[in-house]
Amino acid sequence: MVDKNLGDKGDKRGITRRRFTLGVIIASIVGAFGSLLSLLKILAPAKEGGGYVSTIKPGDQLIYAQGANMGADIKVSALNAGESVLVYPAGKTSNPANIVQLIKLDEGAYKAPTDIKLTDQGLIAYSAICTHLGCTVSWVEKKKSPDTSYTECFCHNSIFDPTRGAKVLAGPAPIPLAQIGIKVKDNGTLVFTSDFKGPIGPQV
Amino acid sequence: MIFKWFDERLELRKFKDKFLSKTFPTHPTFLLGEIALFSFITLVITGIFLGFLYEPSVKMVSLFGAMVPAAYASVVKTDLLPMGMIIRRIHHWSAMIMIASILVHLMRVYFTASYRKPRELNWLVGLGLWCISMGAAFTGYLLPYSKFSTTATSIAYYIAKSVPWIGDWISRLVFAGDFPSAGTVPRFFFMHVMLIPMLLVGLIGLHMLILVKQKHTEPNSNKKKKEAEGGRRLIGIPIWPEQTIISLSFYLFLLFIIVLVATYIPLNPIENYGPPSPGTPVMRPDWYFLVVYGFLKLIPGDLSFSILGGNITPETIGGVLFPAFTILVFALIPFLDKGKGKGLQNYTENPLHRPFMTSFGIGGGVFLCMLVVAGYMDVLHLTARTMSIYIILASTAAWSISYTLLRLYNKKRMGEDNDEA
Ligand code: HEM
Ligand code: FES
Repeated sequence: MVDKNLGDKGDKRGITRRRFTLGVIIASIVGAFGSLLSLLKILAPAKEGGGYVSTIKPGDQLIYAQGANMGADIKVSALNAGESVLVYPAGKTSNPANIVQLIKLDEGAYKAPTDIKLTDQGLIAYSAICTHLGCTVSWVEKKKSPDTSYTECFCHNSIFDPTRGAKVLAGPAPIPLAQIGIKVKDNGTLVFTSDFKGPIGPQV
Repeated sequence: MIFKWFDERLELRKFKDKFLSKTFPTHPTFLLGEIALFSFITLVITGIFLGFLYEPSVKMVSLFGAMVPAAYASVVKTDLLPMGMIIRRIHHWSAMIMIASILVHLMRVYFTASYRKPRELNWLVGLGLWCISMGAAFTGYLLPYSKFSTTATSIAYYIAKSVPWIGDWISRLVFAGDFPSAGTVPRFFFMHVMLIPMLLVGLIGLHMLILVKQKHTEPNSNKKKKEAEGGRRLIGIPIWPEQTIISLSFYLFLLFIIVLVATYIPLNPIENYGPPSPGTPVMRPDWYFLVVYGFLKLIPGDLSFSILGGNITPETIGGVLFPAFTILVFALIPFLDKGKGKGLQNYTENPLHRPFMTSFGIGGGVFLCMLVVAGYMDVLHLTARTMSIYIILASTAAWSISYTLLRLYNKKRMGEDNDEA
């Protein structure tokens, strides 16, 4: 179909009126829908801080995070060697970044790179948020030899060694769980004494 | 009488002659796609029922004295209604059957080479349908807002975040902010009951339209019969009344099976799981996500690097690159395997006559199945390393053995053919 107005060369080399109109139509369609894409920006709400940011401060009391005693202060006498509970800092339970795993083993069980100064009477605390994809870790208790108990994330079976600074023994977790300092008060209850000694939560 | 009334206004007779007399091949494997379609219909019907009772909100409400998210409370109350729990289970079972039947349907198309020209387009549409159904199941899984729902969704949230460059933005777009936050459930609800069903309806329509235009591939056995007759017509039965009656009774039978299963086999008993809590239960995703789940378990945690400012973490590899790559391989199949000649290919191929493609399909299938097994690594007491070795061994063995056998079979067949001639 030759555009007569432009002569017979027009259809091959130059821009015919038909092609020009077509180009304009395509460009305007692309432009119109392309500009709609900017809406996608609005649909993704702005970051609210993002990721896990703990609000634990030294001096916060340790309380049970779940179970029958949920919300009650934890006593040092409540845990035997080889046992563990999930704890929160009192009054700050709505921030999921604050969940901590409190473990009791024999005092002599801990080796480097554990920070022994941050433990007390065989009690040690780590962030309970798996560094892989953010599940809460669980405690695998070995009744016969308590010190060989370990922390495992049941989501993809990452295993952490509580006696070596929660080193990753197996599984896809990229880094250890971060340790946090605790100490036993005179009345037998526990308080935090430091911030987390490393990043917490998924490392993505 | 009634028919006449409508016929005078809508020209139903013309429609019947033109459309309802289309032929439908009688081979039973051609029913697989229908299972998917029927499951979708069941999902829509049961979904409408659930939608009346569901409350898309995570504000805390009191349920039997405990404070739980409103979404969770509304689903627990649904379960307590007469038939409520059964309808919910039918919804969930149908979702599983829909995804499974799409998968088997896709395998049928693959092994019989029905994806070849001119049907490449419909292969892609079908692949899209499969992906979107997985999206439907994924968004639906969060809605009851049990401990399992939030665990699964949180894992997906971090996978979305691990997409290089745009992960942060994508995750906030899909999850309406960070997860968990109050915006996620309403957004998932919208996607689950509006956006995704609409996409599915549209794509199913397109799939059917293309199918009607191009007609089914025909079983190879029809070829000789047809050449003998010298005819060009499809051999099969007309949509109305034969195929409709077969399909309808088939649908009712399928519904019967699903209701039976849903009545006796519990699925997603959220009352046992409880609302979200600090601990994470031992859990596995629904079976259709086990492949990705298994793959995530296998990748060593220290395997991360960055290119051009984008971070590639183990989650990126297992949760983003690996699924994307698998889908890409599926999508490319019709463009890589074009068959002999450039013409339109309207007959199915016998899988036994295609050693390369069939053995590739078997090997790939075994590979994906082994990844599902990797999801159970902890139960089997296998380490990631041994599991990886098993996977590689099993899939290469399946591939090479089936290839060799098929080659031998075909050599023999060719020989026989020559004898005959
Ligand atoms: C129009 C279509 C649909 C509607 C209106 C709908 C509606 C709903 C509603 C309201 C829920 C939450 C209530 C509950 O969990 O009990 C739900 C859950 C769910 N939906 Fe759908 N849905 C539809 C289609 C689909 C499709 C196509 C799939 C998958 C292929 C799907 C899979 C699921 C799953 C897996 C759940 C979780 C069920 C459970 O709690 O055990 N839905 N759906
Ligand atoms: S989330 Fe802990 S191992 Fe994956």
